Amino acid sequence: MNVPVPEAALQQQFDDPPQQREAAMLGMWSFIATEVLFFGVLFAAYIICRWRFPLPFVEGSAHTDFAMGTAETAILLTSGCLSAIALRQIQLDRARQSAVLLAITAALGAAFLVLHGMEYHDEFEEGLIPGLRYTQAGPGANAMELFFSLYNVITGFHSLHVLIGVVLLLVMAARSWRGAFSSAYHTPIEIAGLYWSLVDIVWIFVYPAMYLVGSAG
Amino acid sequence: MNVREIPSLRSQLAVLAALLILLAASAGLSRLPLGWWGLVISTSIAIGQALLVLVVFMRLKSANPVLRLVAVLSFAWPLILVTLTLGDYLTRSLMHAPW
Repeated sequence: MNVPVPEAALQQQFDDPPQQREAAMLGMWSFIATEVLFFGVLFAAYIICRWRFPLPFVEGSAHTDFAMGTAETAILLTSGCLSAIALRQIQLDRARQSAVLLAITAALGAAFLVLHGMEYHDEFEEGLIPGLRYTQAGPGANAMELFFSLYNVITGFHSLHVLIGVVLLLVMAARSWRGAFSSAYHTPIEIAGLYWSLVDIVWIFVYPAMYLVGSAG
Repeated sequence: MNVREIPSLRSQLAVLAALLILLAASAGLSRLPLGWWGLVISTSIAIGQALLVLVVFMRLKSANPVLRLVAVLSFAWPLILVTLTLGDYLTRSLMHAPW
């Protein structure tokens, strides 16, 4: 099927749609590289602190909600697959199906945020949020505070990325539903999908680092 | 866009199944007292999952070589960062002030 690229979609600085798409993809991957560096620095801090204080990190991780973390991981992995299928559907000119899949992906992202919000609430009640309410005492409490500082900063920034992703996916779903995309032009959906996969990948490393260290008991 | 570049629905769902099986393996094995091996196993599983997402969901399998290069470099820089930082932390002894 040969669907023309909408006039408005092709920006004047590009010769043709493929050139515009390639520029957009390279731009997005460059952005992803900066995001990986951003989270990479936080993970580097985590690795050093865990090396210096192995037992308080095991103890800190044991305070996190293993079941909730596992459920959140499953939700994000499933949503990543749905966003990939949404791209496939728009390539097949099934715009409405793509829109529905993007909306479900956004809903799963929102479910992730709700579950993680419940976790933050429980951690606040338990006194595990450094700077706000940290009530732990004992020999390893100070080093465990480091674990929870890193946990809150990394998961907090990740949740912020999820929130941005949910908004982005909803916008893409609405535009796809209204027929803004087709098999010939769907770069915004592709880019939103890349962003969502990045959010997925960050969490794939957060899960073992934060939830699995202390789960052997 | 060439139709041949569009992945099959089955391949996408197979990768999701693989990701969820790896998640179950990671969660299950973490309950066993494996010591530092637990860290090696969970990190290896996470790297495997990330590769699946990168290659299949982010379509690096069929991407332009420039994009693949940027993708590899984006993970290589943090790896160098961690390696060099750990190299420092693991080899330097605490130096006390001589006074």
